Amino acid sequence: MSQYELTGVGKAFNRGPLVINALQSVDLSIEPGQFVALEGPSGSGKTTLLQLLGALDRPSSGHVLFEGRNLAELRDGELAELRLRSFGFVFQQFNLIPTLTALENVQAKLAPAGYSTVGSRQRAEGMLAEVGLADRAGHLPSHLSGGEQQRVAIARALSVEPRVVLADEPTGNLDTGTGAEIVEILATLAAERGATVIVATHDTGLAGRAPRRIAMRDGRLVATDADAQTVGLAAVSSPRS
Amino acid sequence: MFYLRYLRAELLRRRGRTILTLLGLAVGVALVIAISSLSKGLDDAQSATLDPLAGIGTDLTVTRTAQDTGGGGPFGGGGRDVVEANRAVVTDLSKLGKAGTQFVHDFFLPGTQLTFTEAQAKEIAAVEGVAAVSAGLTLQAVHQEGKVPKIVASIQTGGDRIDVNRAITPPTAAEQEAIRACLAKLGVELPNQGQGRGQAGPGGGLGGQGGERAANPRAFAQCLPERMQRFRATITTPRETLQQVLDPPQTDIKSESYTIGGVELGDPSMGLVTSAQVSAGRFLKGGREALVSATYAARKSLKVGSELDLNGTTFTVVGLVNPPLGGQGVDVYLPLARLQTLSDQKGLVNVVLVRATDSASVGAVEQRIETAYAQAEVASAKQVAGRISGSLVDAANLSHSLGLALSIVADVAAFLLAALLALSSVGKRVRELGTLKALGWTQRKVVRQVAAESLAQGVLGGVLGVVLGVGVALLVGLFGPTLTASSTTGGGSLLGVEQAARTTSEAVSLTAPVGVAILLAGFGLAVVGGLLAGAAGALRAARLRPADALRTVE
Repeated sequence: MSQYELTGVGKAFNRGPLVINALQSVDLSIEPGQFVALEGPSGSGKTTLLQLLGALDRPSSGHVLFEGRNLAELRDGELAELRLRSFGFVFQQFNLIPTLTALENVQAKLAPAGYSTVGSRQRAEGMLAEVGLADRAGHLPSHLSGGEQQRVAIARALSVEPRVVLADEPTGNLDTGTGAEIVEILATLAAERGATVIVATHDTGLAGRAPRRIAMRDGRLVATDADAQTVGLAAVSSPRS
Repeated sequence: MFYLRYLRAELLRRRGRTILTLLGLAVGVALVIAISSLSKGLDDAQSATLDPLAGIGTDLTVTRTAQDTGGGGPFGGGGRDVVEANRAVVTDLSKLGKAGTQFVHDFFLPGTQLTFTEAQAKEIAAVEGVAAVSAGLTLQAVHQEGKVPKIVASIQTGGDRIDVNRAITPPTAAEQEAIRACLAKLGVELPNQGQGRGQAGPGGGLGGQGGERAANPRAFAQCLPERMQRFRATITTPRETLQQVLDPPQTDIKSESYTIGGVELGDPSMGLVTSAQVSAGRFLKGGREALVSATYAARKSLKVGSELDLNGTTFTVVGLVNPPLGGQGVDVYLPLARLQTLSDQKGLVNVVLVRATDSASVGAVEQRIETAYAQAEVASAKQVAGRISGSLVDAANLSHSLGLALSIVADVAAFLLAALLALSSVGKRVRELGTLKALGWTQRKVVRQVAAESLAQGVLGGVLGVVLGVGVALLVGLFGPTLTASSTTGGGSLLGVEQAARTTSEAVSLTAPVGVAILLAGFGLAVVGGLLAGAAGALRAARLRPADALRTVE
């Protein structure tokens, strides 16, 4: 069974009298452990699709099945539980809590998952060490570089061992070198955990590293690289693996 | 625990916002506390000073005022009226000694408060609902000293001649007959009535004898009746000599007005002055002792132990008293019997202080006394309070009319401030809250976290506000303005003698007592306001779909 099954998914937004169809008739299936790149220019619907996949939003039409469960039918609490334990998010703006240190930002994901204070601390320290920020754990986001902030976000996303990591333009605010590092870390850590990675990007360099690339335009899937599915993450295996 | 550390981090690491919120809350709470305390302070001061009769153990005062119509009971009918009561005003100064000699004299006048006998005063004790009565005598005193004036005119009156012209009653038939007989006897021939009528004109009767009267007037005058012969009378008024003081102040006589009261010594807790009013020294025991009001003592440089000479009797000042505001406060208090003797008012009083059996029956007692004694003027504590004016009353009135409004405004302001600050704080964190939801936080956890922050801010702001408010209240107590309450009684003119207007003033330092209720109200307002607003804001943010929250641009 596919991890995701999307059939006829559409998403419309009302902007005053206008109805904007951000997604239209999207059919897609994603298998567990895949590294998928959603490509397309701004406004092509990448982020909207990512949000539907991450249970941050509900579709206007169609069905989004995650591991056989229709997300549209789940209650808010169940969706929150899914986001907490099954999904990890990485955002373009990093979305760290500005008043919390790097360590505490990772704990913000662990605390509601039931980790004890000590447990969450140890786990967070371990995750920060994995992304190379062991010595920056006590720093506030404002004292970290963009790349460091995104690494904290990756540590946070992976801290609860999610089954899916959803990244929205993770390198959008980083220079090319740092962006490549971030992609490397994300891909490697996800692969180690067997997590599915779905990255929305208009960075062709980053998309090129994904075994499966899905192009989008005007809210529709333009082409899916079905062949790439078999390649899996081996194609982007990092030097660390 | 992570959530508490998160809360602490939010408060400490958003220091500017936290300080602003705390200050806003604190100012609001302090305003509520300060205004409520000030209002309470004014109320306390007012109720303390506006209950003057209670201060002298009395519910009602009964006096007798001058009225034209007589009435029944002790105060009505005949008796002494204002003129008689104040006759001493026209005392001949020459009686104080020979012209040019030094004199010191105190005149005592009941003024408009007329006297009645002590026995009559005691009758009030029998009125239903009256627990006790105490009589007193308050007099307007004029202290004069100087030289006996030389210009005392002796004016002789009388001895005047007064001419009186009166219409004389015409002679009766009998008198006419007598006149006729008399004239006949003197040889004056009178014509018959029928003969004379044509010549004598319309006079008729004796008038027709005009011709004869001219011919023999002597005989006619002789024959007139006795009463007609003497109808031209001369009245001479009886002679008497009046001595009248002309323009008395033309010597170096110095006049000074003050008030004096005779106190019944039976019950020191009730009367014109009570032991509770004594601020220095002790209460009257009797004999030649006097109490003086603190203000009069200050004016006359009197203290406990000083001596007062009143028309040759020396009184020792045994205590200073603070007169009750609006009550029967006078300058000098003597034992009643002493003052009666001094003022030649033996057995007379002019005020009766009445204590009702209980406060609920005061109104009924007042009515009974007024009904029974037409000339009685009954004043209750309420009426006395109505005569009180001054900055205290103005401030209290202001507090009554504005205090509540201000308090509500401050309450609403504090509440709105707390709410707006919390809402604004939440509004700026929508994206952050969206991130938390993306991380898997449930709506309940997000709301709880934000509400806890608001609660913490409310508590801290409330505490700060309480400290600030109490500080303001203490400062008011230390440096607050002094308000005065004044009561003016008397005044006007009586028989040409100016009656001193009695103004009793009481200075009240404004305090702002902070009650626990006020503190709790202010504190609670900040906490509840912050909590509700925080929770409402958080709920609004948490209800946003995470996708929408994440789209929010900060």
